[in-house]
Amino acid sequence: MLLVVTPKTQRLAVTDIVTDKLYFRTPASRRLSAFLFTGIFAGVFVAISGCERSVPEAEQGDKALVKQETERQALAARFDLPLASLPDSEIASFYAGRALAHQPWVKAPSSTTARDGLGPLFNARSCLGCHDKGGRGKMPVDETSPVFTALLRLGIEGLSVEGNQQAINHEVSQQLGALPEPVYGLQLQPQSTALSSQLGIPSKEGEAVAEGDLRIRWIFSDVVYPDGKITQLRTPEVVLRSLNYGPLHPDTRMSLRQAPGMFGMGLIDAIPQADIDALADPDDRNKDGISGRVNQVWNPVLQETVPGRYGWKANRPDLMTISAAAFADDIGITNPIFPGQPCTSAQAACLQEKTGNNHEGFELPQDLLELTVNFLRYTGAPEQRELSQKGKALFNSAGCQSCHHPEYLVDSNRVTGNQAPGNRVPGKNGTGTLRVGVLKVSPYSDFLLHDMGTALADNRRDFIASGSEWRTAPLWGIGLQKQISGELSLLHDGRARSVEEAVLWHGGEALMARERFIRMTAHERQQLIQFVEAL
Amino acid sequence: MKSSLPTIAGMTLAKLSLAVGAGLIITACGGGSDSSSNDDLLTLDNVRQVLNTNADIALAAYTDSVITAEALLDAIEALEADPTQATLDAARKAWLVAREPYGQTEVYRFRNSPIDSTDYSSEDGPEGDINAWPLGEALIDYVVVNDDDNDDMEPEGDFGTDQVGVTDNGLEVGDVTDAGAYEITIDEYNNRENIIGRTDIEINAALLANNATADDEHDVIAGYHAIEFLLWGQDLNDNGETTEGDDRDEAVKTYGVSALASGGQRPVSDFTEETYGERRLTYLKVATQKLIDDLTAVRDGWAVGASYRNAFTTINSEADAQEKLTEILTGMGTLSEGELGGERMQIALSANSQEDEHSCFSDNTHRDVWLNAEGVSNSYYGVYAGYDSDLDGVDDVSTNAVDGYGLDDLLADAGKNTLKAEFEAALTLTETNYKAIDTQARAGSPFDVQIMTENLSEDSPIAKTILALNAQSRIVVDFAAEIGVDGSVVVDPDASGCDTENPTASCD
Repeated sequence: MLLVVTPKTQRLAVTDIVTDKLYFRTPASRRLSAFLFTGIFAGVFVAISGCERSVPEAEQGDKALVKQETERQALAARFDLPLASLPDSEIASFYAGRALAHQPWVKAPSSTTARDGLGPLFNARSCLGCHDKGGRGKMPVDETSPVFTALLRLGIEGLSVEGNQQAINHEVSQQLGALPEPVYGLQLQPQSTALSSQLGIPSKEGEAVAEGDLRIRWIFSDVVYPDGKITQLRTPEVVLRSLNYGPLHPDTRMSLRQAPGMFGMGLIDAIPQADIDALADPDDRNKDGISGRVNQVWNPVLQETVPGRYGWKANRPDLMTISAAAFADDIGITNPIFPGQPCTSAQAACLQEKTGNNHEGFELPQDLLELTVNFLRYTGAPEQRELSQKGKALFNSAGCQSCHHPEYLVDSNRVTGNQAPGNRVPGKNGTGTLRVGVLKVSPYSDFLLHDMGTALADNRRDFIASGSEWRTAPLWGIGLQKQISGELSLLHDGRARSVEEAVLWHGGEALMARERFIRMTAHERQQLIQFVEAL
Repeated sequence: MKSSLPTIAGMTLAKLSLAVGAGLIITACGGGSDSSSNDDLLTLDNVRQVLNTNADIALAAYTDSVITAEALLDAIEALEADPTQATLDAARKAWLVAREPYGQTEVYRFRNSPIDSTDYSSEDGPEGDINAWPLGEALIDYVVVNDDDNDDMEPEGDFGTDQVGVTDNGLEVGDVTDAGAYEITIDEYNNRENIIGRTDIEINAALLANNATADDEHDVIAGYHAIEFLLWGQDLNDNGETTEGDDRDEAVKTYGVSALASGGQRPVSDFTEETYGERRLTYLKVATQKLIDDLTAVRDGWAVGASYRNAFTTINSEADAQEKLTEILTGMGTLSEGELGGERMQIALSANSQEDEHSCFSDNTHRDVWLNAEGVSNSYYGVYAGYDSDLDGVDDVSTNAVDGYGLDDLLADAGKNTLKAEFEAALTLTETNYKAIDTQARAGSPFDVQIMTENLSEDSPIAKTILALNAQSRIVVDFAAEIGVDGSVVVDPDASGCDTENPTASCD
């Protein structure tokens, strides 16, 4: 028998299935047809007027309306599913956006003009190529295969310059979060559309060759619990087999970052900033040893510094920016927010490559970018499985919840983003709202930066995040990841192969929580881990 | 990235154990209105008949795919022997015929069957080398770079302001003909930085193969669409107006030779010019032989006695039956909604892009839609009628036709008449709409014309087909719910709390 039936592994919300049944049984409405024509096809460009939110206060406290938002059901386990209560009118938009996130981009020029413009330098051909089925990436087991779903961020630290250049560097850092490596930029792109790179043949003069070959070597070590139990940990050592544009600047800092899960981002987006600000304690006034800072990052649309919420260091402010940045940097797809090709001025051949730009100069025009953002916004989160009270008590007694903040109540209308003019295409979204009142959102994160200690530090600044600060990673869906991609690799560089390993890596502000964890009995640790895996 | 290459797709294979797991859970609230026990749907003898018929259809359709691919190779060899418009047209026609059986096999995707997996679990099947798309055509042969300054290519000319054009770095391109089409003049195109142009690259099967185990190996350069590109070239007609007969609007009125005026207009001289002509013919032969080999491997996985087929058709318990039926349903549901309705059709509509269609070089996308949807219907009815060898829209080669025991029979024997009627109504609605796409295409408006903004209305068969496919997938999910309630498998205490007479009630 090759197949294993695992009936208890993914419980879907029964209440939501009922909702879906209603949806499934409802004949296709004229409303959807009308939407298709006025919306999808209208192709109206919208001036980017900002991402400011002005959403009515959620009707908090009305418990009768509180409902945990989850994904729709599917025949297969995956994270890239629409919200259970997403209205019919938005379903077509969701799938169109998913197609954009899913389908591979190709080298320009191509007959498939809306899909060409890959690279010239890139990390992956599509969003879901790394965010497999909406989940996390996978790490290679050893040095024999290249790193694919993680990328290497680069930055220059402590560049000794004076006068005018210092001011320029300051401005660059303010907008990019770090000073780019002069030749390679802010991240290593191990792939290229050059024929030699694509076919693995010798390169010719003038080709925009790939930047290098990124591999990792795992260094193993053991942790011994007070009760004698031993757990093996691993930490990645970056191996750059070739650097085709010369050596890196001597002051380069490298940060290996795994593709994070991208489900539930619309629900995270719906959390009011004030709720997150309320959790911040930058000066540790409550003396619990845990600070928690809001990263202050560049919003390229508003051209100003705003709170950050997304990414391993909370270095992106909103769904639009993180999507546009990933298109530009990871796939090499220019767009209205990041219109430049992924080439530095030192990469002349890259700059001379043919592009897939439209007449406005974008490979991904605004309306298609919006569709992709809507896909992110409308992707649900898995429902919690059976949570044990004992595991929850242990989670809390260890202090995990101090940073892994369990839940928020949000106004479901916020999830559609229909109040956010910058994220809206008339007729395309904003027509449908979830209309389910107040939602309970349970990401188990405070979305704040915490010092996680030297063992996890990448020593690379990212806006105001220091080299040892990381954003609290949401915990939801962790227990399902292995079913989706066959692998669990947690923390920013994918080093932790289990929840236990991830806990053991916690240091800095989280050191006390880790200490409480290792002093638990083996059974208690297991209960805590099972709780986390059921989130 | 193997996962995204497979036919646009990459809704890659889910682990079927999970598929089954999720399927079971669905059943927690999946009560239907029929009163008979769900166990009837899992009667082993009946399910065995379903599985064997499902396997028989796969074997037949893949066998026909191999046969038609071999005929394509014959036609390409005839083109090589004597490159004329007549032999080129014959090769193009052979390609169109080869798509007829293959399109009906796509319902066997997304379920770890031999097209996607060599061992029933790994995602290492040859699909990415057979039908992957979009094509990395710029890696293969010359492509025309549109000139932004050319008024005729102004995006608003045909497709509205969001038509994505291609800019260039000043390369000269061919002149625009009176018909509005670009004349591809090779002499004016000096960029040989592609496989055909780089004479130091040996064209062989290894070059074309995408290493299935490596992520993101290279852009698609193998399979049906690579062959299509070399036979037709880019479809550069950006003008939907009727012309002298060589524009795509005149296109597909019939499937005679005049139909070949649609799509790309690669000249015969591409196959007669020194060096490069030979390299194109070599590429065509290598790619087609590789296609035959890959299809043969898939076909053999379905042969009677093959290990995959044995594993698929052998069931010893209701859990086995449930698992195997779920595999069939996963292929049907995934193809219907996410793949065909979503990625293959909706994205072309939403991107409003002329060539964001499956068979963009040959303008044959209306057949892809029809045949993919027909494949879903085949799985339901347990029928495979054969394929259409003269391209008139009627299956006339029935040598390998199958008429067996389908899901319709399973439902009938279990007394699930409501679900049966719903399922068949959904399939019929889909068929009505995809046939309308085909009719419009044959009347001179291929898929890429039908998605043009000015041709859209609430009666657009493309939009109606998408809606019908979505509705159809919901019925597939309903079916999955129907087969799931089984106390020995579904260990879900909530299951008994459901009032199946009232599906809208909470099961808490």
